[in-house]
Amino acid sequence: MSSRISRRTLLRGAAGLAGAGALAGCSSGNGGSSASKASTTITYWDWYASQAGWVDNEIKLFQEAHPGIAVKKTTQVSDKYADLVSLAYRSNNAPDILMVPKSPQLSQQISQSWLMPLDKWATDSWQGRFPENSFVEGVDVFGGKVYTAPFAAPAPSLQLYVHHGVFKDAGLTNDDGSVKLPKTWDEVTGAAEAIASKSGGKVAPFGFGNSTNTTLAWWLDLFVRGAGTPGGAAVGGIDGMDYRVGKWTFGTDRNYLDVINLLLEWKNKNWFYPNSMSISDEQARAFFERGRFGMTVGGVWNQPEWTKHKFTDYSLVTLPTPSAGDPKALFYGPPGGKFVAVNAKTPHADEAWAWFEWLYSPDAGKRWVEQGQGLSVYAKNNDPKSVTFAPFAQYVAMSGAAVVGPQPTIRNPKVAAVQLPGVKPDINDVLAGVYTGQLKDPQAALNELTDKMNQALGDAITKAPGVSPKDFTFSDWDLTKPYTTKPGA
Amino acid sequence: MAVTAPVREHSTDTARAEPPRSAGRRRARRRTYLWSYVYLAPMMVLLLVFVVYPIIASLGYTFYKWDGIGDPSDFVGLDNFRQIVHDSIFWRSLGHTFVYAAFVVPIQLVLALALALVLNNKKLRFASFYRTLFFLPVVTSAAVIGVVIQLLVSNFGDSINSVLLKLQVIDQHVDWLGDPHFALGIIILVGIWHTFGYNLVYFLAGLQTIPDELYEAARLDGAGRFATFRYITIPMLRAVGVVIVILAVIGTFQIFDLVQVLTSGGPFFATEVVNTYIYHLAFGGSNANAVQPDIGLASAASFVYGVLLIAFSVVQVVVLRSLAKRRAL
Repeated sequence: MSSRISRRTLLRGAAGLAGAGALAGCSSGNGGSSASKASTTITYWDWYASQAGWVDNEIKLFQEAHPGIAVKKTTQVSDKYADLVSLAYRSNNAPDILMVPKSPQLSQQISQSWLMPLDKWATDSWQGRFPENSFVEGVDVFGGKVYTAPFAAPAPSLQLYVHHGVFKDAGLTNDDGSVKLPKTWDEVTGAAEAIASKSGGKVAPFGFGNSTNTTLAWWLDLFVRGAGTPGGAAVGGIDGMDYRVGKWTFGTDRNYLDVINLLLEWKNKNWFYPNSMSISDEQARAFFERGRFGMTVGGVWNQPEWTKHKFTDYSLVTLPTPSAGDPKALFYGPPGGKFVAVNAKTPHADEAWAWFEWLYSPDAGKRWVEQGQGLSVYAKNNDPKSVTFAPFAQYVAMSGAAVVGPQPTIRNPKVAAVQLPGVKPDINDVLAGVYTGQLKDPQAALNELTDKMNQALGDAITKAPGVSPKDFTFSDWDLTKPYTTKPGA
Repeated sequence: MAVTAPVREHSTDTARAEPPRSAGRRRARRRTYLWSYVYLAPMMVLLLVFVVYPIIASLGYTFYKWDGIGDPSDFVGLDNFRQIVHDSIFWRSLGHTFVYAAFVVPIQLVLALALALVLNNKKLRFASFYRTLFFLPVVTSAAVIGVVIQLLVSNFGDSINSVLLKLQVIDQHVDWLGDPHFALGIIILVGIWHTFGYNLVYFLAGLQTIPDELYEAARLDGAGRFATFRYITIPMLRAVGVVIVILAVIGTFQIFDLVQVLTSGGPFFATEVVNTYIYHLAFGGSNANAVQPDIGLASAASFVYGVLLIAFSVVQVVVLRSLAKRRAL
């Protein structure tokens, strides 16, 4: 009997605790003080870590301007963002507004009813504030409806960063005392040689952080473009293709092997920071800041972090070339673009749109540029004269290295239905295999990768009605100029 | 007869008298069992939802090309199985998994047994403290351990290398987690340390079931320490030992978190084990852009791995039983 009573007591106690917990959970569910003051809280997801300062400031300003709306931001880890968004939609927990994940393709996100068409708000006059050709079928418009919009202007996505202190210690200076910036492959090699010999091996000429298996490909991408290969080493979707022939050319374009051999030559001379394959990009950024190596490849996202740490003694160059002269290929982006979109099932559509519009406002774009985060889609925000920070001014000055490239979805909107399966090993894997000596024959590995990727594209095209390989071929493309894709041409 | 009859009578009487008492006992027993079922129910529900259902559901997915978005519709028959069987990375991952198990299980068991013997010494002071200390890694999240080790190796890798270079243990700088010759070895070392405490506790529990009288009798018979260990400890631990071996092998085949956090299977699949391989198929690569998730292929890989593990477990049980029988003879 006593045992029965104790069980009941135990169950009652457990139920009481559970109830108390549930109540406690309910009472704390509305979040912080700003949320409690606002009548509506919208949830917002992004993967902006180093750009968080800009986002947080925008949220603060937005909430001041819209006292009835609170924005609850969640910054997800970038390499798992697509998975998390997908899982959130499956469990009906998707945020009200979100940065558009890179996969699945935007067309698929729309066909799955993830995103809301914005035509109710994104009227012609609203669209009119953007540059010409910003809203393109198959890019940010699907079935004639606007789902997202471009946020940033085309810009070089990768640069070679040069540490002034390391260069000066190695005697790599001009007559006026400024740092001698390497612009060709030979100059980069020469600078590396000087750093290695002058430092007695204590400072590595190069370094990167490849723990996420992506940054080694940045080196290939940057150097191969300078040599005239337009696809670079981009991965995912149809990026990385050479649109002049409508195929991947890893195995057939000699530049790939040349750059890989160059990287191997540097590696064999112990010029790369030895832990580069296992440290993260963030760690590499910190090590570069401390002068553990003299050169690294990265994007403009490096700069805010370094600025925060008061490290400003560096320069950047982009697209080093095999020999003196201008780069033979550039960085390419589509007309139009994507940044954030609104969840199709949000119960707070108007509030989500208000935040959407705020992010896309010229003022927010101006602050984006002022904080050195990147270029704004609004040209008036990108005036180099208004940029006072030297490394960011260098970045703004090299904006000509990025232009609009061919866009198959403009030529044939049905291309948006092509779902290209991933190919493994991809270029990141091949590079890691070659770099670590596990793949002894780089040319054979590149050939195999090329064949697999082109085969995957061929298979995907056969499953997409109304699409042909010709849709991906732009034989009249001049790599150094912006390309205008004509519908149906 | 005189003896048996009363007994039979007695038993008949008992049988006649039993119904009310027996029914009461049955009710009491049922009540006891009912509570057992009530207590078991949550675990069973969780097991059904998170183990049984996914296994059955994933079997269905194996026949589809599906990225996890929407409902599966692209039926591909057995193509996913064909792909897995012909994928060299899958077999490489399987090889790494077996290498991991082949090193971790014997080293960990020998170390755990040795330490258990030391900690089982009743004269040892602070034995409980040492037990807690050795068990601590077990209760520490593998993710935390992975991050800490990764930071240690990458931040202090230079210092470690400098010391080893001075001692002439190595002749050039080693990227411990980025060099395919060393990365799996580091994971094995961390794996041994991480789950070592489990086996230590199991062995300690086994050692404490051995009656002291046996050791006293052996000592009286003049047996030394080694003879006592050889002829009393080992035979008495055999039953527990078989379970520990099976659990250790199963545990090592489930290696995932340490690999995912330390190397994510890289560089170039040099540390990819089957569970990270399946994970990367199901959720894409570390670069989400690089590989579209393929739930169908991941399910097929899981199924193939499951079948291989079942086959391996059956062989393991058969071998262990036959060894036990041979020893019993």
